[in-house]
Amino acid sequence: MNDIQVPMVDPGRAKQRHTISKLFRMACMLVAVQAVVILVILLSTIFFRGIDHLSWSFITGVHRDDNPDGSGLWPAIIGSIVICAICGLAALPIGIGTAIFLEEFKPKHWLLRVFHNLVQLNITNLAGVPSIVYGILGVTTFVYMFGLIESYEANKAPSIEFGARRYYQVRTAAKTFVWLPVEDKTIRLLEINDPIEAMYPNGQSFMLNVINRGDPKPDDAELLGQTVYRGSKGSIFSKHPWYYLRLPFHKSVLSAGLTLALVVLPIVIISSQEAIRAVPDTMRDAGLGLGCTRWQMVRTIILPASIPGIMTGAILAMSRAVGEAAPLLAVMGGIVSKRTGPENLMDNAAAMPITIYKWARDDNPGFWELSASAIIVLLCLLLTMNSFAILLRYWAEKKFTAN
Amino acid sequence: MRSSAVSKRNQAIVVALLIFCATISVATTLGIVTILFKESIGFFSRVNLSDFLLGTEWTIGRSKNPADYQYGIWPLISGTMRITFIAMLIAIPLGLITAVYLSEYAPRGVRAVLKPVLEILAGMPTVVLGYFAVVVITPTILEPIGFKPYNAMAAGIAVGILCLPLVSSLTEDALQAVPNSLREAAFGLGGTRFDSVVKIVVPAAMSGIVSAFLLAFARAIGETMIVALAAGAIPTFTIDPRGPSQTMTGFIVEVFQSEDVIPGTIAYYSIYAVAFTLFLLTFITTLFGQFIRRRYREAYE
Repeated sequence: MNDIQVPMVDPGRAKQRHTISKLFRMACMLVAVQAVVILVILLSTIFFRGIDHLSWSFITGVHRDDNPDGSGLWPAIIGSIVICAICGLAALPIGIGTAIFLEEFKPKHWLLRVFHNLVQLNITNLAGVPSIVYGILGVTTFVYMFGLIESYEANKAPSIEFGARRYYQVRTAAKTFVWLPVEDKTIRLLEINDPIEAMYPNGQSFMLNVINRGDPKPDDAELLGQTVYRGSKGSIFSKHPWYYLRLPFHKSVLSAGLTLALVVLPIVIISSQEAIRAVPDTMRDAGLGLGCTRWQMVRTIILPASIPGIMTGAILAMSRAVGEAAPLLAVMGGIVSKRTGPENLMDNAAAMPITIYKWARDDNPGFWELSASAIIVLLCLLLTMNSFAILLRYWAEKKFTAN
Repeated sequence: MRSSAVSKRNQAIVVALLIFCATISVATTLGIVTILFKESIGFFSRVNLSDFLLGTEWTIGRSKNPADYQYGIWPLISGTMRITFIAMLIAIPLGLITAVYLSEYAPRGVRAVLKPVLEILAGMPTVVLGYFAVVVITPTILEPIGFKPYNAMAAGIAVGILCLPLVSSLTEDALQAVPNSLREAAFGLGGTRFDSVVKIVVPAAMSGIVSAFLLAFARAIGETMIVALAAGAIPTFTIDPRGPSQTMTGFIVEVFQSEDVIPGTIAYYSIYAVAFTLFLLTFITTLFGQFIRRRYREAYE
């Protein structure tokens, strides 16, 4: 009986090993919970700092340099939304298009195949480029356009522009202003000596009545409003509709939106690719089997099936764009004191992340708490966007598992 | 024209449009590389490359006379590395262990809380974390133990918080890619959970884990708003985390927001030289991470 040597497992050692395993599990859990602790501390400190100033007048007000209590966030909210909209309009079609190309149109020609692989490799690398580098790209490309076009200077009409309407503004004898059309925009001041056609700011036109200084004024109130003294000068000003464009784009919301579009483009592409890849191959085969061209198949089968997934990714990309500050600082500079949102595409704007940054760095400590209030507004916006994305994802998952 | 001919023509138009879309992403990379390279040449035609690479003083914009400027990149690199090092000290252990817990241990309920929390942290705008660093971390934790109001430590901690979700989600993907048969083999040999995790799963996923670390490293190097808010604006060449420090990204932002950047001035060109250095560092790190993942990936079929 004693001849057979059975290797004995030391029960004490086995127990010890199980204890180690249990302790390790506990330790892992304690460390993992730190993420929750960090988030709770982060959100609660910001909440308690910012809640005092959070009011309707804060949301609808504008920044005031020396008065933190009376300052508000409205121009920044509008600015952020406009920039984000431009960013979405640029990034989503391009990003989704690239994703369709990468997933559904794998080319056969060797040259295109090289291009295909290059694009795929490139996107992975682009996602790792710091956003401030995109900011520099935006400054060089959109703001200065490589210096190829004469840069825009104050009090000088830009050489290439579109959509601006110029008028000379003249004061009438009734001390109101009327506008005259501009024929040569290089003439900055127009002297009026003869009756010419003019218009009211509402667009209604009339013949200007010119009288000499010292002549009796007309009694009729309407005629008085159409009368100017001989030798009055009209100075040029321009009205810019929202679609006003000039080259280069300078420090404008358009530059900012396009730069952000480049920042989020890799995110849009990667998430759209995943959404398209999630469509089962059987659906592709069914479409092609019915005699569709690839594009018909993509348009009628792949896109409808993957659109919830694509939209989820798109919303997440947009929420990244809303919170992004570094490229905006590079492209537009640190603007806080705007009274309104951007008036046209070439206008600059305040934006929420920039305002948060500038307020947090302000010498006046009153602005520090205001910065926290602005963070609360920004986080609420992000929360709304993300819950929408989560709902979409939930809906999309249900749709596919039902099949 | 027959309808099939029309649809063929439509398809050709669409494919051309799609190729155009795809070209934009390539053009972005090319644009970044050419712009940074071209304008850096403008910088190095004014400044000696050796002064830039070997100098330990960076004083652009710090004295009235541009002739007194010193162009040594090392203070900026040391600032970046100080903050990145602190961030990695936080993000790597926390992220790795969180990933191990999520992948190997976490019951459904815990997972349902932990995953969204990490996603929220990952989506947090960096300017918010910067605010947290300068308004909460520095005054409540660091100033009482002798740190300056602007210091590398607070910025490093905040960047660490930023990188934590990145490390944990990429590492978790790597751990999940390890097939269950390996874990079962460990249990079959009498191993405990601890044995299977530490001796089997983590080593098997090592290439993915290292590439996750490298991506987080690249992210930390490129982080801008946190350092612009919390680290101060003085380039210092030291390893002391208690004082202010300026990173490469911090310098770029400082120049952009302090004055109008006039093309042609030395401050303008210096942005590009610094950005080029930054881009090279992050690009090489990202490429290296991809290389490691591909080269050392254990493929289990």
